[in-house]
Amino acid sequence: MATDTRRAVVDLLGRYGILLAFLLQVLIFSQLSPYFMTGENLLNVSLQASINAIIAAGMTFVILTAGIDLSVGSVVALAGIVATTVCKVDLPFPLNIGAGIAAGLLFGTLSGLGGGLFVTRFRITPFIITLALMTIWRGAAFVVTDGRPVWELPAEFASLGGGRLGGIPVPTIVMLAVYAVAHVVLTRTRFGRYVYAVGGNIEAARLAGVRPQRILLAVYAISGVLSAVSGILLASRMNSGQPNAGGMYELDAIAAVVVGGTSLQGGRGTLVGTFIGAMLIAVLRNGLNLMNVSSYLQQVIVGLVILLATMIDQAKKT
Amino acid sequence: MLLRTLLLAAVLLSLATLGSCAKKERAATKVIGVSLLNRGHIFYKDLEEGLQEQAKKEGYELIVTSADFDLGKQISQIEDFVARKVDAIILCPVDSRGVGPGVLTASQAGIPVFTADIAAENAPVVCHIASDNIAGGRLAGEYMAKLLNGAGKVAIINQPVVTSVLDRVQGFRDALSKFPGITIVADVNGQGVRDRALQAAADVLQAHQDLAGVFGINDDSALGTLDACEQFKRDKPPVIIGYDATPPAADAIKRGSALKADVVQYPKKIGSSTIDMIRAHFAGQPVPKVFPVEVGIVDQAKLSAI
Repeated sequence: MATDTRRAVVDLLGRYGILLAFLLQVLIFSQLSPYFMTGENLLNVSLQASINAIIAAGMTFVILTAGIDLSVGSVVALAGIVATTVCKVDLPFPLNIGAGIAAGLLFGTLSGLGGGLFVTRFRITPFIITLALMTIWRGAAFVVTDGRPVWELPAEFASLGGGRLGGIPVPTIVMLAVYAVAHVVLTRTRFGRYVYAVGGNIEAARLAGVRPQRILLAVYAISGVLSAVSGILLASRMNSGQPNAGGMYELDAIAAVVVGGTSLQGGRGTLVGTFIGAMLIAVLRNGLNLMNVSSYLQQVIVGLVILLATMIDQAKKT
Repeated sequence: MLLRTLLLAAVLLSLATLGSCAKKERAATKVIGVSLLNRGHIFYKDLEEGLQEQAKKEGYELIVTSADFDLGKQISQIEDFVARKVDAIILCPVDSRGVGPGVLTASQAGIPVFTADIAAENAPVVCHIASDNIAGGRLAGEYMAKLLNGAGKVAIINQPVVTSVLDRVQGFRDALSKFPGITIVADVNGQGVRDRALQAAADVLQAHQDLAGVFGINDDSALGTLDACEQFKRDKPPVIIGYDATPPAADAIKRGSALKADVVQYPKKIGSSTIDMIRAHFAGQPVPKVFPVEVGIVDQAKLSAI
């Protein structure tokens, strides 16, 4: 009986632990800072979370297959640079912005496909190939810009990331749309089931008729294109393409995925979890900044919260 | 093959010529080897110009090389200078710690080493010549006080892991401490890059609705703050002061945005002061361990005048 109760509690914690931790955190900050629960600040948090959350959605697909994508931060930077550079081409209004966005997304997709190809065809571990891509794209971002930001962009470009629709920031809307679509893809389509299957047991999946190569190629492409989406939104918010943008974003994204309960061993996890994970991290940073906690201490606290959240998740498995 | 032989011959010939020149001139003029961080950046172009002009005045011969952000290259340039027995070496270290052994090699060979702009750690450098970042921060603080008429809430978008930045912030705080009406209500880490600064600044703007001023420790921090201000579209955004006056920042100041002023460094002055220190050292006069070079501040009026 006692073990049953314990099991039930652990089960509850495992299932809703992250949500509970998130709500607890919101409660604490709303008590500690009078500015936290204002509508303007909550929109601000959603805006700040959006960049990382969109990357983390793609990262979830990759991690579900037991892979990893370290190149996302550099893809953010270079996609932003590609988009801003193409935007400056002398074309009439909707075309220039459209071409810039398309070029940025194309770069992200190609980067993801390239990484996926090395993973599937040449059997290089995802960690190594995406580490290489991370270094290559970061270097390329500095080479093509000569270390200087791309600026003096057409005025409309800034409205992508800086604009609002019905009072909601555009990046927030993009984030919600990305999660809605990705959630349906992952839970309601054959492709989604195959992603779990490849991550759970690649040999079993192969024997069941899944072609793991295609699934792997697709998840890296998804990660690449979603990183590019973030990169373009970020560049728009800064009204410039910055070669040093997106530094360490891969770690923020992985943290959101893992805090959200997805197993690094693959096969287990949800996008809802990742979403809450990304929100949790964003709220934590925002709350600590609102309370003017020293930046040195903030790093320690963020690390501790990640540790705590993953320990709650670990309880699920034992 | 023929091309390669010709090239080799040309290189050998030029080396021989250089060598004989150096020998001939050894008695007459002092030769100074320079290893810059890079030669493409406008800051280092100006610094080099300052070196060249002052060296010409003193009658020194400069051998200017560029390490192009490559420590290995810089070390071998130092070794070349040692082999050539130059009279002094000027470095803009690629890596403050990594350059140490190279400095040691030179000083053991009896060649005095001077660093410009970037310091070398734990190395026998005669004199380090660089912008006075404390004075720069102080200028920013005094300008802020003027803009705010001595009263209001101020935030710092910081990057508290870089020595030169710590100096800037110290100077800024020193200057504002003379104005009891001004309080520093936030000091956050924007990591010195525009995307992180944007997020940190957005949080600060949320926490302090009546924020009157922001000091960005470099232009990426200042411009990230400007991005955040434009996001919230406040009627009265805080005034921002940045550092370095890079082209995008200068542009923002000129068009009358919330970014009001920037501290500027004078790289040319760093170059000429470096030669001055070397001349003093050659003459047997004492030189300070660190020689701070003055900085200035620019605003809309000054930039429009240029």
